[in-house]
Amino acid sequence: MKKSNWLLLVLTLALSMFLAACSGGDDSSSGEGSGSDKEGSGGEGDKEQVLSLSESADIPTMDSSMATDTVAFQWLGSTKDGLYRLDEDAQAEPGIAKDHEMSEDGTTYTFNLREDAKWSNGDPVTAEDFVYAWQRAVNPDTGSEYGPYMMNGVIKNAEAIASGEMEVSELGVTAKDEHTLEVQLEQATPYFESLTAFGTFLPLNQDFVEEQGDNYAQEADALLSNGPFKFEEWNHGEGWTVVKNEDYWDAENVKLDKIDVNVVKDTATGVNLFNSGEIDRTGLSSEFVDEYRSSEEFQIKDEPTLFYIKMNQEGEVLSNVNARKAIQYAIDRQGMVDVILNNGSKPSTGQVPENFVSHPESGKDFRELNGDLVTSDLEKAKEHWKKAKEELGKDSVELEYLGGDTEVAKNLDAYIKDQLEQLEGLSVKVNSVPFEVRLERDTNMNYQLQNAGWGPDYIDPNTFLNLWLTDGGNNHTGYASEEYDKLINEANTDLAQDPEARWENFLKAEELLMKEDAVLAPLYQRSVAQLQKPYVKGVYVNPMGADYTYKYAYIEGK
Amino acid sequence: MVRYILERLVYMLITLLLIATLTFFLMKLLPGTPLSAADKLSEEQQAIVLEKYGLNDPLPVQYFNYITGLFQGDLGLSFQFDNREVTTILLERMGPSMTLGAQSLILGTIIGVLLGLLAAIYHNGVVDYGSTFIAVIGKSIPSFVFAGILQFYLGVRWGLFPVALWEGWEYTILPTLALAIFPIAIAARYMRTEMLEVLGSDFITTARAKGVNKFGVVFKHGLRNALIPIITIMGPLAVSLMTGTLVIENIFSVPGIGEQFVKSINTNDYPIIMGTTLFFSFLFILIILIIDLLYGLIDPRIRLTEGD
Repeated sequence: MKKSNWLLLVLTLALSMFLAACSGGDDSSSGEGSGSDKEGSGGEGDKEQVLSLSESADIPTMDSSMATDTVAFQWLGSTKDGLYRLDEDAQAEPGIAKDHEMSEDGTTYTFNLREDAKWSNGDPVTAEDFVYAWQRAVNPDTGSEYGPYMMNGVIKNAEAIASGEMEVSELGVTAKDEHTLEVQLEQATPYFESLTAFGTFLPLNQDFVEEQGDNYAQEADALLSNGPFKFEEWNHGEGWTVVKNEDYWDAENVKLDKIDVNVVKDTATGVNLFNSGEIDRTGLSSEFVDEYRSSEEFQIKDEPTLFYIKMNQEGEVLSNVNARKAIQYAIDRQGMVDVILNNGSKPSTGQVPENFVSHPESGKDFRELNGDLVTSDLEKAKEHWKKAKEELGKDSVELEYLGGDTEVAKNLDAYIKDQLEQLEGLSVKVNSVPFEVRLERDTNMNYQLQNAGWGPDYIDPNTFLNLWLTDGGNNHTGYASEEYDKLINEANTDLAQDPEARWENFLKAEELLMKEDAVLAPLYQRSVAQLQKPYVKGVYVNPMGADYTYKYAYIEGK
Repeated sequence: MVRYILERLVYMLITLLLIATLTFFLMKLLPGTPLSAADKLSEEQQAIVLEKYGLNDPLPVQYFNYITGLFQGDLGLSFQFDNREVTTILLERMGPSMTLGAQSLILGTIIGVLLGLLAAIYHNGVVDYGSTFIAVIGKSIPSFVFAGILQFYLGVRWGLFPVALWEGWEYTILPTLALAIFPIAIAARYMRTEMLEVLGSDFITTARAKGVNKFGVVFKHGLRNALIPIITIMGPLAVSLMTGTLVIENIFSVPGIGEQFVKSINTNDYPIIMGTTLFFSFLFILIILIIDLLYGLIDPRIRLTEGD
């Protein structure tokens, strides 16, 4: 009794010391703090069209030639219009281009640009702005990564220019007149329209860029907008504010007056800020999902990003197709997404994600048409594994598994190890390494099993399937199939103008890749769990480029 | 004195150069490249981009170029924040970290020293136990736990202070408190031990015998003598507080340097790694110099020029 009294006293003392310490700043801050809270919740309602968001990192660059990450593409997409934009269903809708004509062989596009589009400094947006921007992106002096990546093999001569073998002016893009842009492609590219919505293809105002020089895109006032919003403030590391661009050609359809963005890195902090009304949306990590799952603010955002196990076929064991099939079958994917990920991610059963592309005629989803190419079935796994062991003449096998070093990745990899070791005589050694190390070992093909992932760069099955071509720059599995190469190459050349036949090739190729040749063991298609205030309306989710479209977003019922 | 300081400054430069050299070569041992889309580019494409930044040159050439730039005050351009000057980034990010570091150091030291003093004066009393309790808590609870508790109760639940973000002075209160708990604990512990020792010495007994009252003795004679070890620890602590802490910065969304430093290592942003390391080293060496000078001020028995 006496002892507990003493403890209580000490605790009280500690608390009072502590409160005394902070009382200095108490008055001013609590007053302001509660004041702004009231404004937020009680407020003027829908007259105030302000969206408050958070991003997990600062914008690395607002220079569209140099951008490589989602945050940059998000805010480039919100402040700039390319030839086309992506609409609610990820189809191309007019941006700076009103429409276009395509030559019969599909290699020449002539875009007719609108005449009322202006930069935020008053200059008109012209065909020259696109020519300059695209040339700059592939110019080796620029040092762009995404320029060559997006344009090589698509825009005529891009590859030769990027490697310094040809003059920049030879790039297949010309301004016929102020409002007519002609683009020459290497070959017919059926997904070219959606590609023009991507950040790397955004126009640049040459005069402005050159006038700003090294300072270009470094600060809010060193940026030009030709899109729905323009930068008002950019405090590096802390956040930024974009406001409605009154000079935008479609300004009448933009309802938000302002978007406030703060950099918030910690999930728990994001949730706290969301609950205190500071931000309107926040991402949730799996440990928060159960707490908020039943909330009306809870959402699952599906993404077309796939995760899978790469199996190096240059190794003895994994060169055996039965061994690879055993690994495909052995993993219980439903258990994995339910227990380990717990964020709405779905089991993946192929190598083209669900809800990503639909058939040109029937409109059916690719995944629906090709079905579950890889299923989870322990019995079949064991059968294949037995066969593999006989063929290899081995009783026990050890495989190294290269995984990520984040907490989620470690849990996931432990689960996969556990699942795979259900196969008799197989032991899996998990090696958790940083991303950079995994990449290096992937390039050198110095691995056996590897957890890898891929997100799309344009809306076409090709972005997932051309990876596994024999000479594919990112293949690194040792997979070399003439038949597979033929299907994919044919789809991109002879059949480029025949959407349905092309589609058939992709379906067959995927089946060959996953079912017959068992090149990869699919794991899951990623989803993101998040909280969003119910008064946020009209935000579209995009499968590539900018994650969200805010052009048509508005606040209602706040 | 002036000669002593000049001498120290020369050593400082040599130390910095050594640090720059070591860091440069160690950093190049990190796997990977500064490219952000390395997983999408072929090796040939990567080589073309790296060429532009001079990263295909032999290492000694790169080193020479960097050191030459350094002597001209050029820390180079960042990779992850495309073409942004390292100096600009350091200046932007140091502000918040320094503010929090300085505030928490001052607050922490004052409270810690007071607690330690009280504990020594009321030795073995309730105040002593209370102060020891706080010191133990402060030292053993990780700052991020404390930060989380502060954020939830003072921020979300009671709405007294802003939850997080960085939009004015009131936004510094919670992170400052979270950071201050450690210096409080350290200062209180050392102060108590030192003070007890000093209070037990003969000259204090003499002073008391001459009729100086208890508090007079403590503040006039005791404090000065007990401060030496505190200053010794507080120096390095000051640097570590002012150079930012990843965890606290992330929890309170502070745009500080700590987070930036870690990220630059993860993304192989060589110029930022170099710039930040050199800046931190400079701060550290500077603080050590200041502390050495302070010793002489506080305790005249320590003479700087004696060695000459």
